[in-house]
Amino acid sequence: MTVQLDTPIDPVEDRKPTRSRRRIPETAVLAAVLLALAIFFSTQSQFYLTPNNLLNILVSASVIGIIAAPGTLLLVAGQFDLSVGSGAAFIGVVMAWGTAQWGIPTGVVLAIVAGLLIGLVNGVAVTVLGINALITTLAMLAILRGLGQVLAGGQTLLLPGFNDLGNARPFFNVPIPVLVFAAVVIITALVMKFTVFGRSMYAIGANPIAARLAGIRTKTAIFGGFLLSGAAVVIGGLILVSQLGAASPNAASGLELSVVTAVILGGASLAGGRGTIVGTLLGVLILGTLNNGLTLMNINSFWQDVARGVLLLAAVGFDQLRLRLTGDK
Amino acid sequence: MSQLTLALRDISKSFGGVEVLHKVNLDALGGEVLALLGENGAGKSTLVKILAGDYVPDGGEVIVDDVSAPSLNPRTARKLGIRMIHQEFQDAGALTVAENISLGRWPTTGGIVSWRNLKRRAVDVLTQLGVDIDPGALVSSLRVGERQVVEIARALADDAKLLILDEPTAALSQQEVDRLFEWVRRLRDRGVCVVYITHRLDEVFELADRVQVLRNGNVALTAPTSDVTRRQLVEAMVGRDIGEVSRPVGAGAGAHGEPMITIDNLHVDNQVAGLSLTVRKGEVVCLYGKLGSGTTQVAEVCFGIRKPTGGTLDIAGTAGFPSAPTAAIRRGVGYLPPDRKREGAFMSRSVVENLSVASWGKLAVGGLFITSGMEKTAYARWSSKLGIKSADPANQQIAQLSGGNQQKVMLARWLERSSNPLVLVEPTRGVDVGARQEIYSAIRALAAEGHAVLVVTSDYEEAVQLSDRVVVMQRGQQVAELDGNDVTAQNLTIAAGG
Repeated sequence: MTVQLDTPIDPVEDRKPTRSRRRIPETAVLAAVLLALAIFFSTQSQFYLTPNNLLNILVSASVIGIIAAPGTLLLVAGQFDLSVGSGAAFIGVVMAWGTAQWGIPTGVVLAIVAGLLIGLVNGVAVTVLGINALITTLAMLAILRGLGQVLAGGQTLLLPGFNDLGNARPFFNVPIPVLVFAAVVIITALVMKFTVFGRSMYAIGANPIAARLAGIRTKTAIFGGFLLSGAAVVIGGLILVSQLGAASPNAASGLELSVVTAVILGGASLAGGRGTIVGTLLGVLILGTLNNGLTLMNINSFWQDVARGVLLLAAVGFDQLRLRLTGDK
Repeated sequence: MSQLTLALRDISKSFGGVEVLHKVNLDALGGEVLALLGENGAGKSTLVKILAGDYVPDGGEVIVDDVSAPSLNPRTARKLGIRMIHQEFQDAGALTVAENISLGRWPTTGGIVSWRNLKRRAVDVLTQLGVDIDPGALVSSLRVGERQVVEIARALADDAKLLILDEPTAALSQQEVDRLFEWVRRLRDRGVCVVYITHRLDEVFELADRVQVLRNGNVALTAPTSDVTRRQLVEAMVGRDIGEVSRPVGAGAGAHGEPMITIDNLHVDNQVAGLSLTVRKGEVVCLYGKLGSGTTQVAEVCFGIRKPTGGTLDIAGTAGFPSAPTAAIRRGVGYLPPDRKREGAFMSRSVVENLSVASWGKLAVGGLFITSGMEKTAYARWSSKLGIKSADPANQQIAQLSGGNQQKVMLARWLERSSNPLVLVEPTRGVDVGARQEIYSAIRALAAEGHAVLVVTSDYEEAVQLSDRVVVMQRGQQVAELDGNDVTAQNLTIAAGG
């Protein structure tokens, strides 16, 4: 019989093996970029390569990292959460406001409730009402920024006595935010690799129709993703407010941009279905290194915004290029 | 109008080291319908893409009107009057018929689009084709067959001299097919050359003046249609002596098991009107009908994708329509969707994930924790049984497998979950001939082991080769039920309305 069963004749199929070859070193490329940045900045500033500065990078990257972890989970399922920046600021305001009225424990409880409510509203809007995640969370971004202003009366609220979460160093001189960052990354990595929930998110992102027909509860899973994002916003918001000792409704502006940049830089596809926590971790570290290095070089912080924007464009452009090269959907 | 003669000589083309075309010749003459026949992967689409200037051949010559044309690209091909109508329409649904016909070549007066001329051109072309379509209608509001005509009209308005049709009847009703043929003949009589890609033999004999068969990138046969028989064509396509399609061994033997699907008097909107059928353990029942006859809706109701408007359904002794796929799956139904790429496979994910996805809850520790080791074990349970070939199932994307292997993975997805009954819609669509037979054997074996299998198909050869019994639908009505030796290609096509 002359019919060949497994010869891929279609040219698109033919190109695919090169993709899997290309895919393996993706994190290696990111690691190399990180290393190159580190070497460059260490030649530019004598302070860069000190243990204290490296720890600084981790501390300042930790809030982005904590929120980027569920952000990766969401993007893998083809979803976004752009409300995280104003959400974190809102959580801080709720904490400070609640503490001023009833004390720290109540403030924390209120903050947690507020964060889960944010996740709940986002989740309901996307899964039950069927509103596009981009629009939902963009609207939420504006709503939370406004609510924060209202609650704080347009002022910065002081929050004394809540400094440990953001500043204490209980373990080998490592600050708590870094420890939390590490824990969140590890837990999310395990969830994505070894749980049915994590696998389902990949499947939903790869093909939502097929996921539903394979019996995956797609709405429940996406809802869970938004709840986790809300939980991460609580943690991130509390760390921020603790670091500063005060809650400003204008805090953390542009945080959502950093989170999305880090996640996409880390190799998650806007089209869904691919992305890893290791990649996101490297993306977060590259972003943190860049900010820190530019600061050490005395470059105006406005230019850091420009750099961040360019990085996001480059990351998305790279993603598009990859899609075109591989013919993936 | 001037005619076009286009010849391909010794065309070779490789992709990534795999030779897709090997020294292929093709002659396209004005005033002739040339049928291009071949299995999936035979090289048909690559060949016509070279004809349309989309691909540059590695070797060989393209000769246009006796002059060698070394640099045929999409632009020059367009200028020569070569048009291709793809299976997936490339029209703009949000625009009107008239706008689509003049898409990219708007008639202007003084730089301003002349809507009057635009409409006149559309009316002209549509009249030439003898079609009654409102030029002001939105293309998205048209039926599939009508959209196809709009594409043809567009090519005609463009003064196409060589028209390539890629499996144009795949989504058409019989009536629409007849009309399409009429238009193709009209174009031919006007001197247009039509290259018609198909795998349906009936169409070759009905429409084509000449037929060329490709097999594995080689020309297996070129002849005037009047000089060849059906059997010769099949042999040229498949490359072996194939008998007439035969009934499966032991058909009808398993008809005494307990009923797993019992549908009574099912109504679905205006698409299904009063269908009743029973599928028992141990038998394969085919629900056969042409596209649009309502067969897929029946399958969708069984899997909870579509809501019925009347009737009853009993699955494995439990009455009631499943409210969602999850509910159907819980009641044991396994469902193979008709469009693997869109509804079935997770193309960017691994083979083992694709296979185990429906069973994650069952495989995982505590229903929560899963490793790729567990998935590999699941894969191992079915790979040898179904003959799934994958070099590295845990890491290889399913997109890298052939269509046949992908389909076997889709089937194994439900076997791993011990689903019974199985509802398989077009189980061998996009699968080549060899793998098709393997899938048929696998389905027959599953029935022999006690599965109840409902196969929805629009391919009568599939119904003949696979079924114990066939229920035939036509325009939503159940028109016949055949079993035993009554299941023949002829009986089926007659029952389904030609």
